[in-house]
Amino acid sequence: MSTRDLIMMALRNLWKRKLRTFLTVLGVVIGTTSIVVMVSIGLGMNESFKNQIEEWGNLQVIEVRSNSGNMGMMMDAGGGAQKPQNKKAVLDQKTLEEFKQLPYVEAVSPVMNGDYQLVCGKYVGYANFIGIDPAAMEALGYKTEEGRLLTAEDKSGLVVGRDVAQDLRNPKLSWEMQMQAGPPEVDLMNDKVMITYDWSHGTRDADKSIKPIKTNVVGVMPSGGGNGYTVVMPLAQMQKIEKEVDAWYKKQGMENTDRKQKKGVYNEAAVKVANINEVQNVQQKIKDMGFQAYSLTDELDAMKETTKMLRIVLGAIGAVSLIVAAIGITNTMVMAIYERTREIGVMKVIGASLRDIKLLFLTEAAFIGFAGGVAGTVISFIMSKIVNFVAAQQASDMMSVIPIWLYLAAIAFATVIGVLSGYLPAQRAMKLSALAAIKTE
Amino acid sequence: MGKNIIRIQNVKKFYQMGEERIRAINGVNLNIQQGEVCCLFGKSGSGKSTLLNLIAGLEKPTSGEIIVYNKHIERMNENQLAAFRQQNIGFVFQSYNLLSTLTALENVTLPLIFHGMAVKERNERAMEMLKAVGLEGRANHKPGEMSGGQQQRVSIARAFINDPKVVFADEPTGNLDTKTTYEMMDLITGLANKKNQTLVIVTHDWELSEYADRIVHIMDGKIESIEEKERKVQLESRVE
Repeated sequence: MSTRDLIMMALRNLWKRKLRTFLTVLGVVIGTTSIVVMVSIGLGMNESFKNQIEEWGNLQVIEVRSNSGNMGMMMDAGGGAQKPQNKKAVLDQKTLEEFKQLPYVEAVSPVMNGDYQLVCGKYVGYANFIGIDPAAMEALGYKTEEGRLLTAEDKSGLVVGRDVAQDLRNPKLSWEMQMQAGPPEVDLMNDKVMITYDWSHGTRDADKSIKPIKTNVVGVMPSGGGNGYTVVMPLAQMQKIEKEVDAWYKKQGMENTDRKQKKGVYNEAAVKVANINEVQNVQQKIKDMGFQAYSLTDELDAMKETTKMLRIVLGAIGAVSLIVAAIGITNTMVMAIYERTREIGVMKVIGASLRDIKLLFLTEAAFIGFAGGVAGTVISFIMSKIVNFVAAQQASDMMSVIPIWLYLAAIAFATVIGVLSGYLPAQRAMKLSALAAIKTE
Repeated sequence: MGKNIIRIQNVKKFYQMGEERIRAINGVNLNIQQGEVCCLFGKSGSGKSTLLNLIAGLEKPTSGEIIVYNKHIERMNENQLAAFRQQNIGFVFQSYNLLSTLTALENVTLPLIFHGMAVKERNERAMEMLKAVGLEGRANHKPGEMSGGQQQRVSIARAFINDPKVVFADEPTGNLDTKTTYEMMDLITGLANKKNQTLVIVTHDWELSEYADRIVHIMDGKIESIEEKERKVQLESRVE
């Protein structure tokens, strides 16, 4: 019996008992829909975590800190018996190159932090100053809403968070007057901007020996998120400023050990991983090299872990209805055998092989599953839209996400369920005695 | 007449019914020749249908040998039997046994479908067959839309579609009136004669035996007598 004939005959048998076929398919539709929607809500949960965390920063960036610095010192202080874990774990250019060689690593940049103030006209403000390799800025996930990011050619230039402007104040005014003055009117992109490490800049106590460093703003990062209060500049520019700062400290006769840093050694680095699923792997490799590594995927994994049980329960609820649907298919097919006993007998007598009979029943069951799966995914799609719409109305975090693979998996799964449910009836039909079957009235 | 194509040797078939052992077939020896019309004649319960089922491989004998075209039917498994029937045997039933979901044409092609023949070829053959039974105009009708006689014609067409060597007919006219009975018998014997096919008819209707070369009288599971005769009725000669 050819596949085409098999399918045609199966469809015709199903069509003959439209109502029963429809009801059985309906069971599968409900089962498939509940599984898909439940799983989609579970996936939506992960997705909304991800969105939440992505507001804090880029999920694909690993922050690396050297272990040996602080840790080693602490251990020495505690008796010196123990050596630092790994003496070689120093963040220098060589290690950064090693990071770059790790699979899936897209970009690596040292990260420096600076304590400066931003000066813009008569206004002064604090910000989180960061120095990075300008070539890596785009890869590290920084985004501008005005202007541009730093590129490899930039020796100087700032990319400033929008919120930095909100924090600017006129140091000449008293606190009350500042409140009354309202938000400063500055245009970061076009106004003249300077950096100073004099914390009293603009006030009466200002150190005249410290000259603010002129620079320019090339881009503005959006407010909110992780970078609203950040000012990013090329590493080289920050190193230059740091030299001045060191020189000033020396002049003051102060030796700030806190700031003391070996040349070519960084406190911190950022590693961008090309594939989000590899972040944890890369992170582990960096840890194995003796560094502290942290990424936002740690938070994401923790969040996912806490809701894992909930997602399993959701999936299980869906699975139960599909099991009920599977029993429905088996029931329908067993009924069909009773009804069609005679037909099966005739087919056997006129030359249908056992395989033909079995395949016919399996095909019918498979079609019930398949049809239910297809209709179920269509309805899931609609349900998912409704869930998302209602959630949006309620300003809820709940979200239904159905990736393509879930649709395909649902259809395949429903079909497999159909075949499995049809197996027992098919086996039974096959074993019917042809003679007894045609004698049945 | 030709060689013996069906050889039945000391076949017995017993059923256990509670305490009682029913001897449905109790030691039958019979040879059937190629091209012959053999009528198994007997009253209800004589065991004639059981004998037919045994020859066709629908039942297994308790003992004895059934050899059809040098093949031991009683030793075949279900799959071998299915293939054997597909190639060598046609069936006509009393109650037609057409598949109600299929059209007349599809019912006729069914044996060829199981054989895996291509659509075009099998449809051509089935149309020819329907023409031979005078139903070319009903090809797309479902069994429910046809009279008993027409349904039986479809079932006859189905029995002959795969050019079987032997056609078994179990009370083929049991549900039909006298006029239709003659039509049916003319048709069956006519088709069988054309290709020298063997016909085994089971009946309790004496009218049918008019068409036979040999009448095997069966009673209580045994052959009572075998009556050799000239066929009285032939397709062309019969006058109504």
